[in-house]
Amino acid sequence: MRKRQKGSNKDIFPSSLPTLEQILQQQNLDISFSTYDLHEQKVAVFFIDYLTDTNKAQASLLKPLLAIPNQLTNSAIMNHIPLQGGETIQSLELIIEKLLSGTVFIYLENEKEALSYKLAHVEKRSPDKAETESLVVGPKIAFNESITTNMNIIRSRVQSSDLIMEPLHIGKTNSREVRIVYMKSIANDEDVQTIKQRIQDLDIDEVEDSIILKQYIEDSQLSFFPQFDSTELPDRFTYAITRGKVGVLVDNSSTGIIAPATLFSFLQSTEDIYMRWNEGTIFRFIRFIAVFISFFLTPAYVAIVTYQFGIIPTQLLISLGKSRAAVPFPPFLEAILLEFLIELLREAGARLPTKVGQTMGIVGGIVIGQAAVQAGLTSNILIIVVAMSALASFTSPNYLLGTTVRLLRFPLIFLAGLFGLFGIVFGISLLVIHLLRLKSLGRPYLLPLYPLKLKDFNKSFFRAPLPYEHNRAISYRPKFLFRFNKKEAAKKRDIDE
Amino acid sequence: MDIQLKVKKNIQFRASYLFFILASTQIGVGIMGAPRYIFQYAKQDSWISILISFLFMIVVMFAMLYILRSYGSADIFGIQVDLFGSIIGKILGTVYIVYFLMGLMTVLLTYIEAVRLFLYPTLSPFVIAFLLLSLAIYAVYGGIRVTVGVTFLFFLLSQWVLLLLYDPVSRMEWEHFLPMFQTPTSELLKGAKETTFTLSGFEIVFLLYPFVHNKDQIKKPIFFGISFAAFILFILTIISIGYYSLEDLENIEWSVLTLFKGIKYTFIERLDYVVVVEWMMVIIPNTIMLLWGITHGIKRLYSIPSKHSIFFISALLLLASSIIKDDAHISKLTGTVSEAGFWIVFIYPLVLVPIVWLKRKHQKQKGSR
Repeated sequence: MRKRQKGSNKDIFPSSLPTLEQILQQQNLDISFSTYDLHEQKVAVFFIDYLTDTNKAQASLLKPLLAIPNQLTNSAIMNHIPLQGGETIQSLELIIEKLLSGTVFIYLENEKEALSYKLAHVEKRSPDKAETESLVVGPKIAFNESITTNMNIIRSRVQSSDLIMEPLHIGKTNSREVRIVYMKSIANDEDVQTIKQRIQDLDIDEVEDSIILKQYIEDSQLSFFPQFDSTELPDRFTYAITRGKVGVLVDNSSTGIIAPATLFSFLQSTEDIYMRWNEGTIFRFIRFIAVFISFFLTPAYVAIVTYQFGIIPTQLLISLGKSRAAVPFPPFLEAILLEFLIELLREAGARLPTKVGQTMGIVGGIVIGQAAVQAGLTSNILIIVVAMSALASFTSPNYLLGTTVRLLRFPLIFLAGLFGLFGIVFGISLLVIHLLRLKSLGRPYLLPLYPLKLKDFNKSFFRAPLPYEHNRAISYRPKFLFRFNKKEAAKKRDIDE
Repeated sequence: MDIQLKVKKNIQFRASYLFFILASTQIGVGIMGAPRYIFQYAKQDSWISILISFLFMIVVMFAMLYILRSYGSADIFGIQVDLFGSIIGKILGTVYIVYFLMGLMTVLLTYIEAVRLFLYPTLSPFVIAFLLLSLAIYAVYGGIRVTVGVTFLFFLLSQWVLLLLYDPVSRMEWEHFLPMFQTPTSELLKGAKETTFTLSGFEIVFLLYPFVHNKDQIKKPIFFGISFAAFILFILTIISIGYYSLEDLENIEWSVLTLFKGIKYTFIERLDYVVVVEWMMVIIPNTIMLLWGITHGIKRLYSIPSKHSIFFISALLLLASSIIKDDAHISKLTGTVSEAGFWIVFIYPLVLVPIVWLKRKHQKQKGSR
């Protein structure tokens, strides 16, 4: 609509106030338009009231305007209004655009230009605790939906002129501000350039959220795996940025994107660093094991019970046989049934309000689980297996990777049901090859395992004591590896010297 | 056809990965039954046969390196064309490709046989071959770097099987090795030849050389790769001789797999099942490397894109592995391929060395004149 009127209404000034009002109201934008008589001159003040900070407009704009003692001119008004950023604007198109971003206009009748002051009012919540990723130790603040707040948080965490937040705009019909965040002297230029290029090359109408932008610019569209890290924790974000990665913020999105990522970066939590190094290492290992369990346990049950029960020692086989004695289904069907139940519970829990969700968890988890065993639909052991793998899948610090692992379990259960252990090894092999082929921002997804970078093992698989982490990871080729001087080895002394 | 192969830097890999490539291509299906075949001839002195064959392999390795180094960045296809002219060179190159193809076929057939014997007597060979080949195609499609990555990661993923060997080791009878040094030399050499059948696979260096990033550091990883494979075979043979009685070892077909049968834990037993499926992770690098070699060779010789030839080759292999089911046929095929491999892999490079040397000398004289 705006585009169509571009030619016809190019020069609306000078005009009388009633005609201006008429033109503006034709736009259907809820413009509040008021006229004042001052020193025999007519002044109009107009803005969209729900986009404008009306209190501020009252106090700092309207009040000084009405108190101007002498003849009104645009420059006199500008001198008397104690606000910054007064601009003069001529075209109607620009006026509408500015109105939509919360600008207040002052127009003197028959002047050639209108005066504008930006007094935007954006509804936003104040930074809150993180909802989807939570830390026990460490800062609790999370990003919110306002890009200015997010930038504010990041700047206050990284107070360095090295930190660049490059603005870009995407979306043709619904333009949105995007910021590429990186450290100028550390981040790899190629990475910055690639991500900028990918965003600029997007020829789309709008991007609703950063997670959607992420899907547009990821390397492989078909893969189940997230290829860029996403987080709502500013500490995780700045940690990655200061280590040489590139971040992306999108306005109206509470999630920041971090690229490049590796499979192992999804299993790292900033909590590993807040903990002592040995504890951090152990917890990281627990997470690795958890992913393996969550991926492997149910399929292994299906494969072994269906085909290779020779593997199970006699003692264990007896108790397994007892618990399965009443179950009429093959293990495959039994497992799929229960896994589906767990997925239902998770999905219901995520959709329902918190209070109802808890009740549903109890009803689903305890009541249905118990009843299913008593009704002879599943075996006790399978309940343990399925519950354990569901629990394990939630240990991933990144929700998206947890989802991937949970979903990939289903094809593996199918393979196990079809070919037994052979099917499982086939599935794992396929997965490994897939991960080897996958890239994140053009860099291998399995770094530092392949290509092998032994020096980075203490940054992805385990954690060294902090004084030994004096270099940045070489995997992403940052421009500047050095962080601080390595602690000099203490002179070796004998006991009691 | 260009004699030198120019490889872009972003698809090259570091020389150290050759260790993993050689270690995993040399240890293939053959090793599952190898001790028995060596034992046939060399009896309790089988370990000497392996050492002889190891030394021979080192000699061949130096011959190969000499040939490759005198060209700079060429593979065997280019070198043959340079030495013997376009037509003969291409015929020899085709022989290489056919040898790889037959090698890949025996790998598939033998593994399928083992899976059917130990796990699923009713599962159709077609399905197993289809699964293995689809994995191979998917990996080869990713390019040489993914191919190398698969051999590397799968090597790491399959080494834990060796830890299980502590159980048979603890039950070995060391008297089985006595009396030592009784086998006549001719029998030892026959055993050594059997060993070379199992340990062939390092001829892939002839194809991979142009893709190596730091060519000057190639010697160490190749040496250690060959040594690792020979060492594993050495250990497995020693354990087999110590574990089985003499008559048993001559009759048990999959002697290495059977080693794992007796291991028991409170939560798991019959580890031979696990080892047979885990062996897939040893087979896959083999399959992928050979499939890559075949398609790459076809591209080099006949300029047919790998993207197309890979499906043709795979279909061929799929067909063959679902037709050839008979045990006798498989062992006959394996025997023939091994025999051919001995000449192609171990003798042929030694023949090439003087030819390359003469050619170089000739060129130098020309240059100085």
